[in-house]
Amino acid sequence: MTSIDIRELTKAYGPVRALDRLTVTVRPGRVTGFLGPNGAGKSTTLRVVLGLDRPTSGAALVDGRPYASFAEPLRHVGAVLDAAAAHPARTARDHLLTLALSNRIPVRRVEEVLEETGLAAAARRRVRTFSLGMRQRLGLAAALLGDPPVLMLDEPTNGLDPEGIVHLRRLTRRLADEGRTVLISSHLMTEMAQTADHLVVLGRGRLLADAPLKDFIGKHASLEDAYFSLTDSSAEFTHQEGTSS
Amino acid sequence: MTVLAPVLRSEWAKIRSVRSLLVALSAAFVATVGVTVLVHATVGRSEADNADFEPVHSSYFGLNFGHIAAVCFGVMAVAGEYTGGGIRLSLAAVPRRGAFWAGKLLVLGAVALPVGLATGFGCFLGAQALLGEYGVGLGTPGALQSAVGCGVYLALLTVFSAGVAAVVRSQVGALSVLTPVVFLISPVFAGVSGIGDVVAFLPDRAGQQILHPVPEGPLGAWSGMGVMALWTALAAAAGWWSLSRRDA
Repeated sequence: MTSIDIRELTKAYGPVRALDRLTVTVRPGRVTGFLGPNGAGKSTTLRVVLGLDRPTSGAALVDGRPYASFAEPLRHVGAVLDAAAAHPARTARDHLLTLALSNRIPVRRVEEVLEETGLAAAARRRVRTFSLGMRQRLGLAAALLGDPPVLMLDEPTNGLDPEGIVHLRRLTRRLADEGRTVLISSHLMTEMAQTADHLVVLGRGRLLADAPLKDFIGKHASLEDAYFSLTDSSAEFTHQEGTSS
Repeated sequence: MTVLAPVLRSEWAKIRSVRSLLVALSAAFVATVGVTVLVHATVGRSEADNADFEPVHSSYFGLNFGHIAAVCFGVMAVAGEYTGGGIRLSLAAVPRRGAFWAGKLLVLGAVALPVGLATGFGCFLGAQALLGEYGVGLGTPGALQSAVGCGVYLALLTVFSAGVAAVVRSQVGALSVLTPVVFLISPVFAGVSGIGDVVAFLPDRAGQQILHPVPEGPLGAWSGMGVMALWTALAAAAGWWSLSRRDA
């Protein structure tokens, strides 16, 4: 099965280290929640895995290979990086068609993923008329296009309506049960507690935790409590303590 | 070619699915031929009485206005990838950036060339028809070459503009670099002695030499087109460098 292997990954922007020798393996057959404060390096990790950003050192491999070595990568990895990543003047259907053609994906998959993400009725509308939630659905449709064994979703619940959130939860569960590797970054702790089987937590570009959800929560009252007790020391912006205590 | 085929199909689908790109491309033809026809229909015959009137080059008067549409087409096709972060998805789909860039430029050139050729022949035949007894045929020395050259010129200008857009990564930025070159520097300084010989080597001036049956200045018809092709290769290489070196 297909894992994402991140080995000693460092990404420096000038003096700032967005990722600092990060080593972690994201395994198939479960939903892995990717957590961490803003600036912890989650999105940078995803961009490096996709070959969009060049690492300063280290490597990110999918199925043991660099992403850029795949001739038809959409058949190996499906990713949602930002919800709005489509030309605003293109229709949803045409947007997916350009992606399908580039990876020799049969055109019927375009209709299938539009159906699967609830966008069939909006297929011929231009992306600029889409709400944030619809753009998220379109991003998800693009990720599913190549029926890939690995899915990476960056904040996929952003802007989704309650129905969409439940649908996404069921979908990611099904994809993981089918043996796929599912990595979801999110700031929503309650959502993560319901969706993830396993957690990877980053802080300041370093690995803070890599554990099953149950073990991570442990003696804490909730995922949120466990998360804050871990990340408080590494948050990029620390809040001022009140005087009440 | 088999490696590039899916990229070419995808890039062609990108162009035909955005209305503003099709409008820009059509505008290159409509504006160029339209202005040429309009001018020749009105003042054409009276101008033709002048001793220094040259019917072949006169056919392409509309290009002074129409070629900016080719610039817009090239710029929009590339800069459009950067609006809304679409480039990340495009490069995630085609991570070999050399193949992505080659495919995009090939499709842009291949789409612009037939439109350019139609523009060239439309201008020449339209103008000559309106000139009546002053008109000349395609058999006139330099005539056929000028019509074909107009097509090559517009295709190269499109690819050149696309290259600049990939470096600048923004529609407004790329147009604010290219418009002054095409609209101001070249026409204004072309006649100034001393500077004129340098301006002759700018991409648009050099490429347009082919529209003259008897070229003016230091460059000939095809040597001028060669200079423009060098500019285009330079812009394409700069675009490739920018695309392959920088994080998307």
